[in-house]
Amino acid sequence: MPTAKSSLFNGIWAIFIKDGLCEFRTRYAVSALFMFALISLASISMSIGIVSLPVELTAALLWVILFFCAMAGLSRVFVQEQESGTIVALQIYGSGQAVLFGKLLFNVIVLLSLTLLVIPLFIIFLNVDIYRWPIFIVILIMGDIGIAAASTITAAMVAKSQGKNALFTVLTFPILLPQFLGSISATTKILANIEPNASEIVFMAGYNVVLMIASSILFDYLWYD
Amino acid sequence: MAMGKNLSVQLLDVRKKIGTRVLFEKLNIVVNPGECLAITGPNGSGKSTLLKIIAGLGQPTTGAVQVWYNGKQLDLEERRACLGLISPEIILYTDLTGSENILFFTRLRGLRCSQDQIEEYCKTVGLAIYKDQLVHTYSTGMRQRLKFALMLAMQPVLWLLDEPSSNLDADGKMLVAQIISNGLAQKATVIIATNEPWEAEYADCKIELV
Repeated sequence: MPTAKSSLFNGIWAIFIKDGLCEFRTRYAVSALFMFALISLASISMSIGIVSLPVELTAALLWVILFFCAMAGLSRVFVQEQESGTIVALQIYGSGQAVLFGKLLFNVIVLLSLTLLVIPLFIIFLNVDIYRWPIFIVILIMGDIGIAAASTITAAMVAKSQGKNALFTVLTFPILLPQFLGSISATTKILANIEPNASEIVFMAGYNVVLMIASSILFDYLWYD
Repeated sequence: MAMGKNLSVQLLDVRKKIGTRVLFEKLNIVVNPGECLAITGPNGSGKSTLLKIIAGLGQPTTGAVQVWYNGKQLDLEERRACLGLISPEIILYTDLTGSENILFFTRLRGLRCSQDQIEEYCKTVGLAIYKDQLVHTYSTGMRQRLKFALMLAMQPVLWLLDEPSSNLDADGKMLVAQIISNGLAQKATVIIATNEPWEAEYADCKIELV
């Protein structure tokens, strides 16, 4: 006889493990994301040769690459469930909040893993010097969480609207814009060897929290209505 | 949700209209614990639609479906947390094995299910030797059996069965009959949408759609 236990964290963990296992067996999202990043960086590197780009442009390039990598792969968490029909079983057997935060956790881990692969390539291909690693890592983590949070909720909306990927980028970009501009600004300062203001980091963290709370409230309407 | 089985389903003047066509209307019925409701009717008459409305996956055009548990009316989230659905629309993960599917869905619902229990449920439905194979290698009949194994693992209070014996062989149909009998004996509330006369025989009450 199965026994009940605290369900939200178990539900989140179950979704995360399930998505991880399916991704490990198919390698769809990781392959798409990594190939996009590799091709973008290699193309830019070959175009500019040995010329160093201005730090503002370099910082923007990094976040544009990470953003479009996310657009290439992160919508899959909900669109795939919709297309394969498994979303009905998820709706019956899973609580909305567990599904949302399980998918979000998965997207955050995928994007952080991708960033871990992209940053060395970014440094090598674009001939970049990073001066303040600890703060740079914090900015990357904050930016990735923001992209993943915006991508996850818009993926849920797109899957529900049957619009598939056509709407995904259009919906995600405006939601993410404040976080995106903050990430580019803070990264520009890092590349210029200037300490970013603490308020910039606090803003990024705060925006992530607001994004997740808003997602949590919105998602119940998507899931149960 | 604690699984003491005291759940009833009440349909209050339920009507569903799709486009200009009225699928059904004026449906009023109460299904109590240990009772079985059969929904019958020809293809396209709205059996599956009504079952989805009862599951909370759709809304009636007018009227309401109320689910009561120990005297308390359940909201949509609570309703879903106490039901099990077997339907062609329930599709399990083909990139997971049979046992991984059961483990995933039970965890998702906050239940603890050991490997021994999973083995037992798979054995009951005749999938013991296939439980560690990926579901995309299963036949449609095996997938239907896996849905029943999942139902056994969930031990829901409300069973919603849409054509439960479809795609099953003679043994599978006997298995379904046995599982439904056991569920009713354990005071589960069972609602079956079916065209099979033998499945409708379990019914204490019936809705015939036209």
